[in-house]
Amino acid sequence: MPFRLAFLALLRHPARTMLALLGIAVSAALLLDMVMLASGMRENFQGFLLIRGYQLRVAPKGTLPFDSEATMDSATMLIRNILRIPGVSAVSPVLGAQSQTRVRDSTVTAFTLGIDPAVQGDYELLRGQDITDSASLVVNDSWLALTQYRIGDSVSLAVGYDPQLRTVLGQRTVVVRGAARFFYTGASQPTVAILLPVLQGMGGSARRDRVSLLMVKAAPGADAEVVRSRIQQVSARVSAISLEGATAQVEQRLAYFRQLALVLGSISLAVGVLLVTTLITIGVNERAGEIAVLRAIGVAKRSIVWQVVTEGLVLSGLGALSGLAIGLVTAQWLERILADFPGMPATFRFFVFQPRDAGIALGMLAAAGVLAGIYPSWRAASLPIAGTLRREAVA
Amino acid sequence: MTRGVPCGFPCAVPCAVLIALCTLAVATRTAAQVIDSAPTHPAVVRSIALDARLATDFGLRLGDTVRVSAAPGDTGAEPVVVSALLARRADPSEIARSEYRARVHLDQLQRLIGYGDRVDRFAIRTAGDSARGTLLDAVNTAAFGFRAWPSAEIAVRTSRTFQVVRRFHRAIGVITIVASAAFLLCILLLKIDERRRDVAALRMMGISAGTIVRSVVLEAGIIALLGSLAGVVFGVVVARIVNWHFQGVHRTTLAFTLVTPETIAFACVLSVVLGVVAGWLAARRLVGVPALTLLGR
Amino acid sequence: MTPLVQVRDLARDYSMGRGAVHALRGVSFDVEQGEWVAIVGPSGCGKSTLLNLLGAVDTPAAGSLTIAGERIDQLSDGAATAFRLRRIGFVFQRFYLMPALSAAENVELPMAEARLPRDARQSRVQELLGYVGLAERAGHRPSQLSGGEQQRVAIARALANRPALLLADEPTGELDAATGLEMIDLFRRLNRDGTTIIVVTHDAQMAAAAGRRIQMRDGAIVHGASA
Repeated sequence: MPFRLAFLALLRHPARTMLALLGIAVSAALLLDMVMLASGMRENFQGFLLIRGYQLRVAPKGTLPFDSEATMDSATMLIRNILRIPGVSAVSPVLGAQSQTRVRDSTVTAFTLGIDPAVQGDYELLRGQDITDSASLVVNDSWLALTQYRIGDSVSLAVGYDPQLRTVLGQRTVVVRGAARFFYTGASQPTVAILLPVLQGMGGSARRDRVSLLMVKAAPGADAEVVRSRIQQVSARVSAISLEGATAQVEQRLAYFRQLALVLGSISLAVGVLLVTTLITIGVNERAGEIAVLRAIGVAKRSIVWQVVTEGLVLSGLGALSGLAIGLVTAQWLERILADFPGMPATFRFFVFQPRDAGIALGMLAAAGVLAGIYPSWRAASLPIAGTLRREAVA
Repeated sequence: MTRGVPCGFPCAVPCAVLIALCTLAVATRTAAQVIDSAPTHPAVVRSIALDARLATDFGLRLGDTVRVSAAPGDTGAEPVVVSALLARRADPSEIARSEYRARVHLDQLQRLIGYGDRVDRFAIRTAGDSARGTLLDAVNTAAFGFRAWPSAEIAVRTSRTFQVVRRFHRAIGVITIVASAAFLLCILLLKIDERRRDVAALRMMGISAGTIVRSVVLEAGIIALLGSLAGVVFGVVVARIVNWHFQGVHRTTLAFTLVTPETIAFACVLSVVLGVVAGWLAARRLVGVPALTLLGR
Repeated sequence: MTPLVQVRDLARDYSMGRGAVHALRGVSFDVEQGEWVAIVGPSGCGKSTLLNLLGAVDTPAAGSLTIAGERIDQLSDGAATAFRLRRIGFVFQRFYLMPALSAAENVELPMAEARLPRDARQSRVQELLGYVGLAERAGHRPSQLSGGEQQRVAIARALANRPALLLADEPTGELDAATGLEMIDLFRRLNRDGTTIIVVTHDAQMAAAAGRRIQMRDGAIVHGASA
């Protein structure tokens, strides 16, 4: 009966109830989005780094991978020394460079990765074949769209230009073997991959036995942090970065979004609570006479409080559920906006839905709806019955 | 040469956020190592302009001598005298970066890092727009591996990050406005519904529906205006707090949030319009109900 | 036999501005089980105040009030509420039905509060609505019922938990003459079937139909205190 009375009380003023639900739903949606933004980035980022299971990165000293054009020399020996470390199961070397492909009267510049296909952790093959020999090239769809080449075509790739001699450097003819999705570059960024020794060779003496990055996989059961510190001892000219260290760095750089999420989330929660509280309070005040009648016929105070609390719970609960649906849609919208950041990796997500966090956020809203009803209903139920009836009769 | 998009890493994200700067950043490849602050090698000592934060953090002053090298522990470190301190620009793309910046003479940097006779970019001043256009065409058709852009286009390309942030903020603003509008409409409906008996009495006295609607709309508009003014004051205070906090955190003079006359005008106008519309809707609803029904008969 | 209702020197004051209004001044009377008592008097004589005290919705300033052996004036708020639920049935001048509930649901309300099982509630609802002649209107909302029908529903609601005492405050006050007569007939039937009724009324015919009249003026009983 209390649930039915609560539901009917809400239906008595449908316009008011619908508006309140809309306001609560949108507030809940924004709250959900901010929770997704605040907590999801960290989880997504760690997942993003662990796509192929490489927990550690090794970069030139004092830099983050690809933060500059610095490279590490004596890569072969460095890799060998790292592989000797207990707890290391694999090392994936990566060299980054720019390559140019002449297409009719223009040039397509692509970000080029020199990799070892046996241990690479940078892409997932979608079509065709992987790199098998020194003439193989794997590309992304953006490169294919810009160059109009297809899988199987031969292309001429160059990595440098001598303006004095006006000749290209490091030019090589390769065959497009396959198309891939590169995890760490933007979907619109033309990206290609080639065998590491080939790219090193194309770069001449400047790139001989050099790499930009080593991705290191710890063996199952090995402590990644211990492995990281051992790698650090192998060479003083490199920086070994763990997942936690990387996450901390990124969190610092993206602190703005988390703080924004916190502020907006708090405001959304406050607005939702305020709306429910106001609606319930005014609704209770309007029904002071009815409440007095209920008390007169023997309905206990706690039953009245329970009825009003149920109203608040229904309102905020329905609002929260609607907000969940709206929030998932708006998150997609906001995600599309943020995906436009130049160079944003295609696999990175700002908004990640985690049922636990969403449950906490929306649960807070629902709980607020419950609390919102307690005080006004108790107050209304405590009014003198006779006086209230008389006042309502006169009114 | 356009710097490549980073892959494989944490930097992918911050660089995604700050990628605009990659093409504009001063090439800083040396790690400045402070060994001492005593002046040496007067005949060959060059000057360096150091990041003011670096100077503060390591206790350096103008006139101090430091050694710079291409890599930590290099034996070829050269002494340089701190001749200037660089204040970080109030540039949103820079403030999140914690690394220090320095400026050295071009030839010294080329020598230190073994770059030879190369640069990352150079700027050209042309004699007029037509000359600019001719030069752009010549460079871009003849060159292979790099491009020339007008400075204005660089500004557009590198502001893409901020445009994305701006769109993001706008989207948040839209969502907030929708929630606020629903809230405002709901509250006004409630408040006006509360006075149904008053309205009934007025109708029974002969006051016209139009008069009642006008008075309700006026009241709603005044409430909305006063509320929006209070909101402006609140917003200004919060903006000041936000700027104070983030300027301290990032050690910058950048204004993180600005309350401009346009912003105030937009907020006030929108609030008043929403309030007036809400009041009108609520009042129309009420005067459309017969007076006796409003009295509960 | 002990009277069902025993009122001794009951008094009630209201503070209004500068002074106190003595709404009731030391009222004493008894009501026996099965009696039908009408309390009459001019407006402001304290009739409704007395009824509110009898219904435990108000607290006396002085005196004692015993109903069915319980000292009502000494009950806590919670105990008074429980007493009203199980021992008192209240009928108001303005019906005061829950507008969102149907006739059946309005009648069911006190039984739900008393935690009667659902089946028992529903059969009692049918019984009561049949008794007041509204069995076919069970699903209608108050806004779909006439004044007389609403008052019948209110009476059925008041009888839901088989109260020891039915209190009615101007039950025909909002009804036309013909409907008022129907209401009087209903009250007569109720009393004949054993319900003890105390009604406050301006309606001369209602007062005449009652078995006993208590006349009040200026907060005191002037006639009819004893049966």
